[in-house]
Amino acid sequence: MALSSLPSGLIRAICSSVPVRRFDNLSETTAFDPAEVDKVVKMAGVRTRHIAPGNICSSDLCVAAARRVLEKLQWAPNSIDALIFVTQSPDYLLPSTSCLAHRDLELSDHCAAFDVGLGCSGYPYALWLATMMLSGGGLKRVLVLHGETPSRFADRSDRAVALLFGDAGSATALEANPAKEASTWGFNLHTDGNGWKDLIIEGGGFRDRMPEDTRKLCVAMNGANVFNFTIKRVPSLVEETLRSFATPQESIDYFVLHQSNLFIMKHLAKKMQIPEVKLPYTIQRFGSTGGPSIPLTITQGGLTRPANRPLKMMLVGYGVGLSWGSALVDLGPEAILDHVEVG
Amino acid sequence: MTEAEAIKWFADLFGLPASSLSAKTTRTEIPTWDSLGVLTLMAALDETFNLVVDDATMRSLQGVGDVLELLRKNGKLA
Repeated sequence: MALSSLPSGLIRAICSSVPVRRFDNLSETTAFDPAEVDKVVKMAGVRTRHIAPGNICSSDLCVAAARRVLEKLQWAPNSIDALIFVTQSPDYLLPSTSCLAHRDLELSDHCAAFDVGLGCSGYPYALWLATMMLSGGGLKRVLVLHGETPSRFADRSDRAVALLFGDAGSATALEANPAKEASTWGFNLHTDGNGWKDLIIEGGGFRDRMPEDTRKLCVAMNGANVFNFTIKRVPSLVEETLRSFATPQESIDYFVLHQSNLFIMKHLAKKMQIPEVKLPYTIQRFGSTGGPSIPLTITQGGLTRPANRPLKMMLVGYGVGLSWGSALVDLGPEAILDHVEVG
Repeated sequence: MTEAEAIKWFADLFGLPASSLSAKTTRTEIPTWDSLGVLTLMAALDETFNLVVDDATMRSLQGVGDVLELLRKNGKLA
């Protein structure tokens, strides 16, 4: 069972990023009937989303966020010990996007850098990795970059996805906790590979390098299976996390969910009996941006932060894989939250 | 839940008067029963009856009668 309780790290800063170009689904969509668009917007909740132009990729979005983080924290690039880049929309099949970010940020050659190929569940996984690296000794500072450009792989003729996806990046700066009696963070991670086909881009990889049917280069989603996966797995994940780490629901300030679809998130909230005030939403403004929607919601979700104690959050990612996971972490009052637009 | 109550529940879900529906009403006669309607129905089945329905079963529902039959099979209909 992938349940781990680790000595907490310190989240020093989180910066999210989106492309400057903002697309209004209601006023700018021309490919579909306005009544249809209206219905999709009402259900999925996506009124506007930010779309990356051809020259902006996941690395660009994340590097912009990381530069802001390093500048605000006054961290020298050569003080970063490791960089984790989470993406399923890499700039290239190879090299790793982490190496591109490493170059752009001018990090030292003593810095470990690697990619994690996870989607909507990627943020809890990356925080788990970073926390293990920091608590294992030796490493002091880790950057977690998580960026996606899902608007690039959406089939524009499919209204179910064409209006849903926005692009976003993020940078999270973590530091080893010097406190001898550090609190703990909890992580609960799951996988069900049997659902590998429920969210898939079939072409472009090495199993089907150049598909004849170019729609295979776009994401295909079995909506019913993904919906059932979500309503079955997410409530039990949340319940199991609270129980396993002996954390009463009331003690959590915010449950920050991957922003998949407003209708589904509201259904989950009802099912989990979580008060709406504890579930911030940003999907209306940014669309579904994949895993980066979690850090994006932390910076842009209007979270109220107490001045005298850390904010306790459960971060919940779920989706492609199928993969899902939670991170029970806290965010100190001194942590910097920021947001940049790129392009 | 009785059959009449289930039809009322279904009608509310799709924004229709219950009087316009019967067990014989087909999916094609309900314009709002499209792909988004399917999602609405799945959520409502879970929320109201604690029924999680798979993709194949959802595809097999072609009318109000099929939904009533699904409820009956799962012991949700008196």
